[in-house]
Amino acid sequence: MTTDNQLDFTFSDLIAGYVVEHDPQRGSVRLRTSDGRTFTARLSETMSAEFLRNLGDPYLDASAHVPDLLTPGRHVFAYGVFSPPGNDFEVKRLVFLGRRPGEYNFEEPNWWVRQLDELAGFYRRAQFGDGPIDYADYRTTLRLGGDKTDVYVQETDTISRLIYGMASAYMLTGNEDYLDVAERGTGYLRDHMRFVDRDEGVTYWYHGIDVRGDAEHKLFTSEFGDDYDALPAYEQIYALVGPTQTYRVTGDPRIAADIDGTLRLFQRFFRDEHAGGYFSHIDPILLRPDHESLGPNRSRKNWNSIGDHAPAYLINLFLATGEQRHAAMLEETFDLICEHFPQQGSPFVQERFHADWSPDRAWGWQQDRAVVGHNLKIAWNLTRMNAIRPKQAYTELADRLARSMPDLGSDRQRGGWYDVLQRCLVGEENRHRFVWHDRKAWWQQEQAILAYLVLAGHTGDQDFLRHAREAESFYNAFFLDHDEGGVYFNVLASGIPYLLGTERLKGSHSMSMYHAAELCFLAAVYGRLLIRGEPLTLWFRPSPDGFPDRVLRVAPDVLPPGRVKLDRVEVDGRPYAGFDPDAMSVKLPDSTEPLTVQAHLAPARD
Amino acid sequence: MQIDRQMTGEVVVLSLEGELDSRSAPQAQSEIAELVPQDGKIVLDLSGTTYLSSAGLRVMLLTYRQAREAGTRLVLAAVPADVLDVMSATGFLDFFTVSDTVQAGLGVLQR
Repeated sequence: MTTDNQLDFTFSDLIAGYVVEHDPQRGSVRLRTSDGRTFTARLSETMSAEFLRNLGDPYLDASAHVPDLLTPGRHVFAYGVFSPPGNDFEVKRLVFLGRRPGEYNFEEPNWWVRQLDELAGFYRRAQFGDGPIDYADYRTTLRLGGDKTDVYVQETDTISRLIYGMASAYMLTGNEDYLDVAERGTGYLRDHMRFVDRDEGVTYWYHGIDVRGDAEHKLFTSEFGDDYDALPAYEQIYALVGPTQTYRVTGDPRIAADIDGTLRLFQRFFRDEHAGGYFSHIDPILLRPDHESLGPNRSRKNWNSIGDHAPAYLINLFLATGEQRHAAMLEETFDLICEHFPQQGSPFVQERFHADWSPDRAWGWQQDRAVVGHNLKIAWNLTRMNAIRPKQAYTELADRLARSMPDLGSDRQRGGWYDVLQRCLVGEENRHRFVWHDRKAWWQQEQAILAYLVLAGHTGDQDFLRHAREAESFYNAFFLDHDEGGVYFNVLASGIPYLLGTERLKGSHSMSMYHAAELCFLAAVYGRLLIRGEPLTLWFRPSPDGFPDRVLRVAPDVLPPGRVKLDRVEVDGRPYAGFDPDAMSVKLPDSTEPLTVQAHLAPARD
Repeated sequence: MQIDRQMTGEVVVLSLEGELDSRSAPQAQSEIAELVPQDGKIVLDLSGTTYLSSAGLRVMLLTYRQAREAGTRLVLAAVPADVLDVMSATGFLDFFTVSDTVQAGLGVLQR
């Protein structure tokens, strides 16, 4: 019998659990993990103890209160050292998530609003300092502390994501500086990153520009490895993220025109008229999805080209306009997801396809691998879609994914959600193997939090609420960079920040305030309006020529009908009566100047 | 759009006369494709090109790609100012080597 792989050495690790009992005599606490396993932890004389804090908050020492805080049912993180023999665990750091059992600091009404305010302030200073906003100074790449590097590239998608974050920050805080960043950014995209093809009647967006020296060098096709020398759908999709959110606020008709031009691009060149859905890439010259130059991207469809329209811009566009053509496009994409994405042989969805919807399990890095966050994103957005056009298929798939994912894709020991796993088990395996590592990415935590919050809000299911709270706990305990600002890209499984390579950056091709801001915005919406029955105020700034028929739609998200109403409206600080509480819309007065509208939303009483 | 082909030594000189827009682009693309040599040298003389639409821009890019794949060196010559503006503003000009005259273009290719 082999004696290999004996764990007879010390190692540090994290336990996420609920207090079962505290033994002051022995100086120990017994914890139960999310999936019901128990651990006994010795409380070290030298351990630290703290309360969960938000970005911008000071350290909150809890060490003097530990005996009072270790009450049954309390959810805690215990970081410590396992030692042989017998895996003795000595706690070195305790994080308490709230003052009382069952209380969570992140459920304080303004938690997510304050966090978004801090994020917006960080990126505002990082990109433009405290002075005038000039996008000539914008850089995609930002170091850990927000400093710029000698990389002169401005990617369209990262500007768009920053715009989204700033527009969302304005909606939650009313800080007009954030809206200024968003509007100037939208104008910059229009002036520098947009190509209006008058022959074809479509709009498409450059990958980015290199601003080294006096002249800008436009990067027409993607410089990103997976999509090199092609026009990927997801880059065109994410070019709309920020402008669309800004459009919700201002109704600027120029934005609407650009969105419509890009939608025509999707409909005319990316859409598969025969088998449905949208191709993932087109070649940049002939605008064809089947051109041989596309190589492994030729005639393919993927999660991005089918499913990302909804969360990135299309739901927000529907919220802003109420137009049924957008609901129809949403319905088509979600019907295709329900029909093609679930596959026999794996609990995870299939994400890449050939034109005829046969699975592509040989593509690049993806092969036959699952991105945990995409499964959660599907559950989250199916639930939203069900509030627009209810279908049993939507709720069934959302429910199935949401109930299966914790055991498959989350860390039941430490909390948090994993990254990329093998879709299928091999041989006698009883867990899906990690493809590259067991680190946890910030954007994947967001998908889990929003999926379980929205499902808890729609259904009242307490299991969903528990998973939401556990995901919120891990994210807020370990991803907030209290030293430099912003959030960490990745943490180790135990919650320690991972700060190597591109994952050290606060600004990159992958990170630019979008996911962190979307999380803050929608966690506030779902948590306050749907789960805890609290009001929420959103800010809007319609321009004089904004919105057809001068109707401002202020619904914060697509919510279950009748659950939330527009309670009060203020226009330029004065009460205003011209609104529909059930439709959550405001009939704007005529104006020659932009108006400031505060929409006070509240849970509808029975 | 009319395309005229001449040889100057080993260099193929293609002169594009007229408007290159969505109507003329498919035919122009087809003709140019047949005239791009393998492992050769080519000058696109745009002195007679009076208008270049986005379809025309894509013909330029396609020619650039085809030449690159064929191992052929390509120079744009005598590009009218307004056409140059369009190509520059859209970033398409960066793909090309550009010379003021056909003669200058021939000189570039002889280096």
